[in-house]
Amino acid sequence: MRHLVKKIILTQKGLDQIKAEYDELISVKRPQITRRIQRAREFGDLSENSAYDAAKEEQSLLEARIAQLEEVFPKAQIIEQVMTTDFVVIGSTVVVEMNDEVHEFAIVGSMEADPAAKKISNESPVGKALLGLKVGEVIEVSLDPVKSKIKLLEIK
Amino acid sequence: MTPKNIPIVRFSQKGLDLTTSEKKVVKKLIKAAEAIAPIYLSQENIKNNGANFYPRDITKSQILEAAKDNPEILSPYTIVEKAKNGKLRATPYHLKFKKELTKVARFIKEAAAITDNEDFAKRLQVQANALLDGNYEASDIYWLSMKPYKINFVIGPIERYNDKLFFTKCCYQSWVGTMDYRQTGDAIRFKDYIVSSRRKVLVPSEKVDFLDKIQIRVDDALIFSGLIARFMFTSSNLPNSVNIMERYGSEITIFKPSFNLKFDEERHPIFHAVFEENFQKNYPAEVLRLGSLRNCYLHEISHTLLRYRDAERRLKEYFPIFDEISASVFGVKACGSLLLKDAISQKELEAIMVMFIAMAFSWWISYLKEPSVIHYAQGFAIALNFFVESGAIRESNGFSWPNFTKLFVSIDQLADSLERILAIGTYDDAQKLVEKYASLDIFERFGPNLKKLV
Repeated sequence: MRHLVKKIILTQKGLDQIKAEYDELISVKRPQITRRIQRAREFGDLSENSAYDAAKEEQSLLEARIAQLEEVFPKAQIIEQVMTTDFVVIGSTVVVEMNDEVHEFAIVGSMEADPAAKKISNESPVGKALLGLKVGEVIEVSLDPVKSKIKLLEIK
Repeated sequence: MTPKNIPIVRFSQKGLDLTTSEKKVVKKLIKAAEAIAPIYLSQENIKNNGANFYPRDITKSQILEAAKDNPEILSPYTIVEKAKNGKLRATPYHLKFKKELTKVARFIKEAAAITDNEDFAKRLQVQANALLDGNYEASDIYWLSMKPYKINFVIGPIERYNDKLFFTKCCYQSWVGTMDYRQTGDAIRFKDYIVSSRRKVLVPSEKVDFLDKIQIRVDDALIFSGLIARFMFTSSNLPNSVNIMERYGSEITIFKPSFNLKFDEERHPIFHAVFEENFQKNYPAEVLRLGSLRNCYLHEISHTLLRYRDAERRLKEYFPIFDEISASVFGVKACGSLLLKDAISQKELEAIMVMFIAMAFSWWISYLKEPSVIHYAQGFAIALNFFVESGAIRESNGFSWPNFTKLFVSIDQLADSLERILAIGTYDDAQKLVEKYASLDIFERFGPNLKKLV
């Protein structure tokens, strides 16, 4: 029986960014942190060595990120550059009205999501609700405790 | 150890990541901050509504009458005294406190000479000059135009809370801090989320808009001196001048040590005192700490979104109540779209809401200790009474159980009502809402649970 592997949706640009980040972590950051740990060890007593503790903590965060990125490559599914469509797809940039506010953002795969940079995951409540919608349509989206009506104003 | 009446609070410098030269700069700036404390002491007078800004034997109407001929009497930066001929005269701070300010400026200039950062050196020079010649605007403008720098230093006549007569005269204060880069990153993320949407505004012509010029940082404060040491603020949003803000933006600073102190000694114990025991188990201390910290920066970011040019003139003495509570409520409301965009989790939003309620009680406790912060307590009383009325929080033997769905709906409605008053409300509208909802009895009812803290 074949296992269904959940694909990770990415644009080519997103995948390139992830590859660049991975290369930097492997070839620059990992050796740097190893050197810092070695230097901190030379200060002696590890139980009272805050520089050692900080470097070890940073190393575990770094290794976790490397492992996370390594999982992406075999599961990556590249989506084509979006041609303008009359309904929302992954890659669309949309303008919506939500709670008397006008929001503009792109809908991207979860790996590329960065709400502060106006990139919203297709798996977020807003992302899921908007996929397939046409301009002018209104949909209600909720995730406890928040409920909101969203009106699609424009697809860019 | 600093004597209790001296308005100076020093925080730990352990673990600071500073170069030798930066440490020398910080040392000089701390000296400058310390030297401002005596000036604040001379302005302070808790027995007098006008503190020591005006002569004690003069009435409010006499001051207003005299200000018709001499507007400087109501300048934020003058001390009003009676001349020999009985008339009121206004002396600018930089002349009145020249001797003390010369000493302060000397420390700042010495720091400017040491720092390796040219921009910061220039800013310190401008700041020192401003203290001596009263050109605070030039100093503010230079400060706001500067790129964010590791060391933060603010000094001068800034906050108006001690002038309970006119809410006009500024008290001296200073702080020195260094940036916490990780937490600053989180604060910037929230700022970017919130300012990235365009809001529908009731009266666009009255709205002050400078969203692209807001800076936010979280600092490890090293010293508070002057008024800030008395009030132990957890955050600051400067400048106070709406005109400068509109042209040059604003800088929000969150003070991590005073925040942590407030959280550990007040807000977290309040959480345990007002919420039901089983409910408490869902929220580990660090989740609540982050929720509470985010409340701080949401409040300050929201302040910048809710500036209406004529609100202070229309609402008069009610303005500070609406100004403060609307920012806190709006900040929580803004998190709704962040949840739907997956920018925060449900648990994170709940922690923000729960700590909003704890913060309400915290301001009531602060008011019991320092009556001049009554506008914060009244503002939060409006929120709590509104939530109780809507059934979002219920009481039983002093405990409350929030229904988060109802609570969020209430927050949404209250945020709209408060902004409406700030944007177009009349004095009467403000008065009616205060009379209906601002009763502090809501806090008193929880008194038995909070007796260890009060």
